[in-house]
Amino acid sequence: MKKNTDLTKQDSQKRIFIAMLLSFVFFIGYDYLYIQPQQEVYEKQQASAQVLDTTKSTQNSAPQSSTNKLSPNNAVAPTVILDSSEIVTTITTKKNIIKIDSFGRIAQVTLLDKQYIDENGDKIKLFAVDQLRPLEVRFSNRDINNEAFKVNVVSSSSKLDARLKIQTLTLTQTMSNTTLVKTLKFYPDGHYDINIKATNGVEFFVTPGFRPNVIADVYADHGALLKMNDGTLTIVEDEDLDKTVHFNGIKFASAFDRYYATILYNFNRSLEVSLMPNNNESPQIFIHAKDSINLSGYVGPKSHKELEALNKELTDTIEYGWFTFLAKPMFLLLQFMHDYIGNWGWTIVLVTVLIKLVLYPLSYKGMVSMNKLKELAPKVKEIQEKYKHDKQKSGAKMMEFYKREEVNPMGGCLPMLLQIPVFFSIYRVLLNSIELKGSEWILWINDLASMDPYYVLPILMGITMYLQQLITPNQMQDELQKKLFQFLPVIFTFFFLWFPAGLTLYWFINNLFTIGQQYYVNTLFTKAKIVRHEEHLNHKHNTKD
Amino acid sequence: MIKKIILLFLAFYQRFLTLFSYGSCRFYPTCSQYSIQQFETNSLFKAIYFTILRILKCNQLFNGGIDYPKVKLNLHNIQYKKIDVKYWYIPDGNNQYLIIKNWNYKNEKKH
Repeated sequence: MKKNTDLTKQDSQKRIFIAMLLSFVFFIGYDYLYIQPQQEVYEKQQASAQVLDTTKSTQNSAPQSSTNKLSPNNAVAPTVILDSSEIVTTITTKKNIIKIDSFGRIAQVTLLDKQYIDENGDKIKLFAVDQLRPLEVRFSNRDINNEAFKVNVVSSSSKLDARLKIQTLTLTQTMSNTTLVKTLKFYPDGHYDINIKATNGVEFFVTPGFRPNVIADVYADHGALLKMNDGTLTIVEDEDLDKTVHFNGIKFASAFDRYYATILYNFNRSLEVSLMPNNNESPQIFIHAKDSINLSGYVGPKSHKELEALNKELTDTIEYGWFTFLAKPMFLLLQFMHDYIGNWGWTIVLVTVLIKLVLYPLSYKGMVSMNKLKELAPKVKEIQEKYKHDKQKSGAKMMEFYKREEVNPMGGCLPMLLQIPVFFSIYRVLLNSIELKGSEWILWINDLASMDPYYVLPILMGITMYLQQLITPNQMQDELQKKLFQFLPVIFTFFFLWFPAGLTLYWFINNLFTIGQQYYVNTLFTKAKIVRHEEHLNHKHNTKD
Repeated sequence: MIKKIILLFLAFYQRFLTLFSYGSCRFYPTCSQYSIQQFETNSLFKAIYFTILRILKCNQLFNGGIDYPKVKLNLHNIQYKKIDVKYWYIPDGNNQYLIIKNWNYKNEKKH
């Protein structure tokens, strides 16, 4: 029997060691083999995109229309050379500069708000040069389609200032069989309304464009998102579409990267949409139209407030992966607090405190019970001694004892499991919310959404975690496990080194408050003990008299 | 099939993740052990239901302590042969049985 327990001890020691080793190897391997190559590929793509700028060719075929059986495959791909000199109109709004090219498409959108700058300090330009542009129109008739990419549009104006009032622009493209007229209304807040008319009843498609290409990495989804009339969302990620797919009953269509999106919507009339893969099997959105179509469009950051101001439903474009159902309420709570506080770092601190307060009755009860147990320590030792060769039996006897004394030193599985969704939703919000990108806290923390550059917060987090363990009475029986448990803060510190600073901040504050609570309960108990001791002495004294 | 996946996950959890959650559970057997036993002896949906219930109870508002899994079944088809006992079914009235693991089940095989 003795041999047996030694064996299992060694066994578990080995297992835990292997587990730790595996997780280290996994995270390091993941970083080197997956994330870094992805980033390199992305950088290369960016670089090659620059080169392509001058000599680039685009395939411009219309998606297969479900209604038009005459043109099942528009294999013809006219070559279009895009040049910056072909910009016909420049519109300036409060939020952005929109450039329209000679095919009546949005060639580029530059964001004007001061927080939208890239690492070189330049204003962010949303679109990659070699991809499908917003408001490009394609025709299901092949001949018209070919002609459309040869005939330039006539613009009603070359420069518009929409910073203070709504400006209207008309783009006319006259072809042999049809005339296409786009009437655009640009609003000071950066969004636009568009009416597209084609004469002779021709069928055509309009697109919100390929997704913005500012930050599209492995940490967050990017691709196309459709909201259905029944309120559900369909998300097709990049490199995930192998053939053209048709959808009916769409409220809005959005092409998005981590922080930015280009959206076309019409909440009065449901849309018919096709998703067509590009060369990388990434989705391109095409909205079906005949004769005439009215739409509204937004191109810019997925900022909750800006989207909400246009239409509440548009906030669905902000998605946090499969965890949206919890991450979104977390974001709303954070934003609500942020409106009063004005600093995202302090907002996180306050939300942490709030969560702690809500759970306070629970943790208080747990701590009191834990301290009660301290007084019963001799009895616990007795049981442990008695059954020290039989771990299972010892565990069972302990539980029997706890129940009899109505104490229980354990926190419980539920509070532990509850931590996980809270933690994960804050993580997702930090990754996906443009509002928190580049948000400052104090001193050296200038971006809560990326790692602490000096590793101060992770180390503080580790120290508080160690202190928390030190101050909490624990009932661990196994010496080895006790040691490993004490080693946990080191492992956590290691993992937190590369986590967003905001997340480390949350964990750090969380630990601080746990320590505070525990300290308070501990002092309460020592006081109570002293009082009882004095009473005891008094009692003795009295009986003597 | 689903049961097997869940049991595999639970085995993985017990092997590698309990270090992080060590000393959490207020019950005997622990929530993960309870869940394994439920999935091994009960129907899928009942096992899920009782596991969720158990985890919900595993907080400071409840006393914890000993809480064996309980299943309802009609025992018949008695076979007279030598068997390896993994779980003892302890009658608890009303066709209900407490499940208690025979801790020597695997050890005996080893020797």
